[in-house]
Amino acid sequence: MADNRVAKRYAQALFRTAKDADVIKAVEDDLNGIANLVQNDESFQEFLMSPHVSADEKIAIADKLFSDRITALSMRAVRLLLEKGREAEFVNLRDGFIALRRESEGVVYAEVVTAEVLENDQRQKLEMQLAKKTACSVEATYSVDPHLIGGIRVTYGANVLDGSVTGRFRTLREVLLHDVLKQV
Amino acid sequence: MSNPEQKSSVPTPVKFVLGLAMMAGGTYLSVSGTLDSINKPLAEKGIPIDLGITVAVIGVFLILFPVIQSFYLNPLQQAIDERNNDLESTFAEVEELRTSMTKMRAEYEQRLAEKEAEARNQIQTAIKEAQQLRQSLMAEATERADAMVRQAEIEIAADRTQALTEIRASVVNLSLAAAEKVVGETMTSDRNRKLVATFIDELEVAK
Repeated sequence: MADNRVAKRYAQALFRTAKDADVIKAVEDDLNGIANLVQNDESFQEFLMSPHVSADEKIAIADKLFSDRITALSMRAVRLLLEKGREAEFVNLRDGFIALRRESEGVVYAEVVTAEVLENDQRQKLEMQLAKKTACSVEATYSVDPHLIGGIRVTYGANVLDGSVTGRFRTLREVLLHDVLKQV
Repeated sequence: MSNPEQKSSVPTPVKFVLGLAMMAGGTYLSVSGTLDSINKPLAEKGIPIDLGITVAVIGVFLILFPVIQSFYLNPLQQAIDERNNDLESTFAEVEELRTSMTKMRAEYEQRLAEKEAEARNQIQTAIKEAQQLRQSLMAEATERADAMVRQAEIEIAADRTQALTEIRASVVNLSLAAAEKVVGETMTSDRNRKLVATFIDELEVAK
């Protein structure tokens, strides 16, 4: 079972080391690749999580898979996780590392959800407006949710900017129900 | 009744001796014919009596009377006296019992009267208490019924309000669901793009 506190400690140690070595971007790319492999490749995930495979075997396979593709620092982190039996923490490690990097660089992370795929010009304009609004540079991930019907919903930090049709209907419903309760 | 032996003025031994003398003398006079001069004229006149025999018979009676008295009359008199005494004591006891009964009856009647009065008082008290209890129960029941009615009215009003609210909320939900469906069916990419553009522009304004 993944433990966010453990992953956070690993991420902090790895980020400090990567920052000292000035390989933050490379390590982040490595962690993204490994985390994507763990999330998307079921056979690799089964192998990694299998209790019947020893830590030494897992390290040997990881060496063969990643040693010539990722940085030495990333490889050391992978070996350490496997030695300590923390295979389930790869994704949390990646997320924690990225969060620390954003915090270090003063970057705001935004999740943008639209009913249809957002075109590039609108993405650029949105990120520019968000950067102006937050006075920080913005990193955004985009996803599509047809349930929104139309419009856009932006989430960053503890803020939600809901410009979707579903969101407006929800607001309207709340207002109307509030009025109904007031009339009683 | 008094003893006849005690009342007699002549002692018994004197009577006994006198009786023997009369019996012996009378028998002698009769046998010797000394009194024939008296007996014969009496017989000729139709009175056949021998005075010597008569004197002897009186002497026999004088001898027999104390014997009869001591063996028959005295025990009989004693029995009669005892019976009289028993009767007198019985009458006295009866009288005493009657007096006692009269007294007891008077006491009983007095106690009965007291008990009746006490019972009447107790009944009156019980009736009064029952009436007070009835009044308090009636008042309590009335109060409880009023409270139940008030509570029922409150609950009915609350249920009515809740039902009204639910109906209105259902109307709102149904209306918005229908509107959402209509908007979803009429939504196009151009409209969506305009919505996004408007959102971004408003973001700039609200900065």
